[in-house]
Amino acid sequence: MKKTLLSSLTALLALATPLAAQAGTITVKGSDTMVILVQRWAEEFMKKNPGTKVQVTGGGSGTGLSALQNGTTDIAMSSREMKEAEQEKLRARFSTTGVEIPVAKDGVTFYVNDTNPVTSLTVDQLKGIYLGDTTNWKDVGGPAATIVLYSRENSSGTYSFVKDNVLGGDDYASNAQTLPGTAAVVNAVAKEKNGIGYGGAAYAKGVKELKIKKGSEEFAPTADNVKSGKYPLSRNLFFYLRNKPSGEAKAFIDFTLSPEGQAVVTKVGYFPVK
Amino acid sequence: MRNLLVALFTLTTSAALAQSAEPQTPAPSEAQSTEAAPAAAEPTIEERIAMDEGKVAALEEQNTTAQSDLSALKKLKISGYIQSRYQYQESLDDYGNGGFSRFTVRRGRLKATYTTDLAQAMLQIDASPAGVVLKDAEATLFIPGTKQTWSLTAGQTKWPFGYEAPQSSGDREFPERSRVIRAFLPSERDRGVKLNGRYDFLRLNIGVFDGNGTDSGTVQDNDKDKDVIGRVGFDLKWISGGVSGWYGDSLGKLANDEFRTAYKRTRIGADLQVYLDVLPIGGTALKGEFIAGKTFGGANNATNLNAAAHGYWLLLVQNLGLSDAVAVRFDSFDPRNGAANVAANGVPGANNTVNTVGLLVQHYFGENLKVSAVYEIPMTAKVDDAKDPKDNLFTLQMQARF
Repeated sequence: MKKTLLSSLTALLALATPLAAQAGTITVKGSDTMVILVQRWAEEFMKKNPGTKVQVTGGGSGTGLSALQNGTTDIAMSSREMKEAEQEKLRARFSTTGVEIPVAKDGVTFYVNDTNPVTSLTVDQLKGIYLGDTTNWKDVGGPAATIVLYSRENSSGTYSFVKDNVLGGDDYASNAQTLPGTAAVVNAVAKEKNGIGYGGAAYAKGVKELKIKKGSEEFAPTADNVKSGKYPLSRNLFFYLRNKPSGEAKAFIDFTLSPEGQAVVTKVGYFPVK
Repeated sequence: MRNLLVALFTLTTSAALAQSAEPQTPAPSEAQSTEAAPAAAEPTIEERIAMDEGKVAALEEQNTTAQSDLSALKKLKISGYIQSRYQYQESLDDYGNGGFSRFTVRRGRLKATYTTDLAQAMLQIDASPAGVVLKDAEATLFIPGTKQTWSLTAGQTKWPFGYEAPQSSGDREFPERSRVIRAFLPSERDRGVKLNGRYDFLRLNIGVFDGNGTDSGTVQDNDKDKDVIGRVGFDLKWISGGVSGWYGDSLGKLANDEFRTAYKRTRIGADLQVYLDVLPIGGTALKGEFIAGKTFGGANNATNLNAAAHGYWLLLVQNLGLSDAVAVRFDSFDPRNGAANVAANGVPGANNTVNTVGLLVQHYFGENLKVSAVYEIPMTAKVDDAKDPKDNLFTLQMQARF
């Protein structure tokens, strides 16, 4: 029996060659909202550290967090907090709760076409529009035209954020067209004069950003409003790791949180956490 | 299925339409005959644009329909896992009979879950050489206005008691649950209704069940009494735990009973899990659970009416990098609840205390294949000259999940 046991364990350990991440390469996966920011960080970091390669891919926060649970990425980018079910999977697979690092701030922004006279909406009005209860722009102060809804895929952290913070947890209207990435939403709204979409503040190019109306006041997703919390749809953008960062991953994260890294945040169009 | 067919049909017709929109190169003979015929009137640019716009609009409409169909399909999740094993046991039982060296399929789970904002349907079956059995059949209502944090589940479902019983066998480190769990919560499931909820870091799971469990051999409950089972827990991410309780009756006859009698079936339990990120090699988890109670399940699904017992288990798991883990588990079960152990015919009594040490090495091949090698050393309490039987067990398990 001892021989059987020993040979079985030896065989298993021989097969158990760690599939460790390739030395000198950091993989970062997840939030499409964060891709433009993290790519810029990666470029700047690789200029200073030519021996290290930072690979950045999108796919949505859910995809990134799933990759973290499966062991196929070093860092997950997420524009929402990790859900309890995701945390349970991480605990079951890696005996760890993971490490959450806020790296930037964002104000989730609703975009309309440049020609749309509407400049601000309340959160309740946005809820009515995305639940499908309000279907015509004239009901919210715009022209008499049917509202064309653009949304993100359900693997997106922004999709979840809007669902939880605007729709009160209810589901999007069935006629909302889901598009892969914020850039696609912005592009669609830029072309569709009756369109409305949402995404990170850094993407609002060629479309009009809606202000959020609270009582008699209106708040744009500016640095001051996001930092002070006056803009009601502010959120953190996160890096998630399985364990405390070390080695090259730690060096990269330290860079993103350094004054130089946080200056990149502002350049890209998001807001620094420090 | 109907949705899938509709979606495929729509995509197929979209592709066909896109192909038909591509310019076609005429065959040589056709080209010659065209030259011979009088020149046909070319469509104007405006006509072409109008035609193309019509085609794009048609494609957009079909795309919207396909999206709508696919979004319904996204609500359906099919998952499962297969656990194939090789096992070697020195002896078949505590008396030293037999022993085995065998291949087996321990679990072949197939689970379908359909989730909407308000409801969830979940059906899970287990297909193994022993046959196909229903494991779970749950109908869940997410209580409106609670963002799916509170729900009510009815059907055949897991008992909301403790930590290891509700844990998925696909996630668990050791191939089988500890001895105390197998005694107090055999099959882990029953028919009933339960409320699940969380508020901040607090967790509540409580339900009313038939009580006999799905391993009792009876499809329907055999009495009018119901068992109340629940757990109050907390989850602070790095540390979680809870206390559980069970109050009910089990109807049956002891040797001296003339008629069937309702005997108390009770359990109390406490569990704790700690997750630490202190070593650079990977996460460390320390888990444990204690259960004491009356009327537990014995061998061959026999119920030990009115008998008291207790037990506990402790588990230490250390992850090694991305793909490996090692673990050690100590589990102890005392079916006599502190009463003296016995010996008969030179072997320990069947209900003597058993302490088991288990050692595990685990490796992941990619995302969905896990191989575990486990060596378990059961130590039955010795009395007089009755020796601990040689019944160590080696299990090599390959688990693939999807």
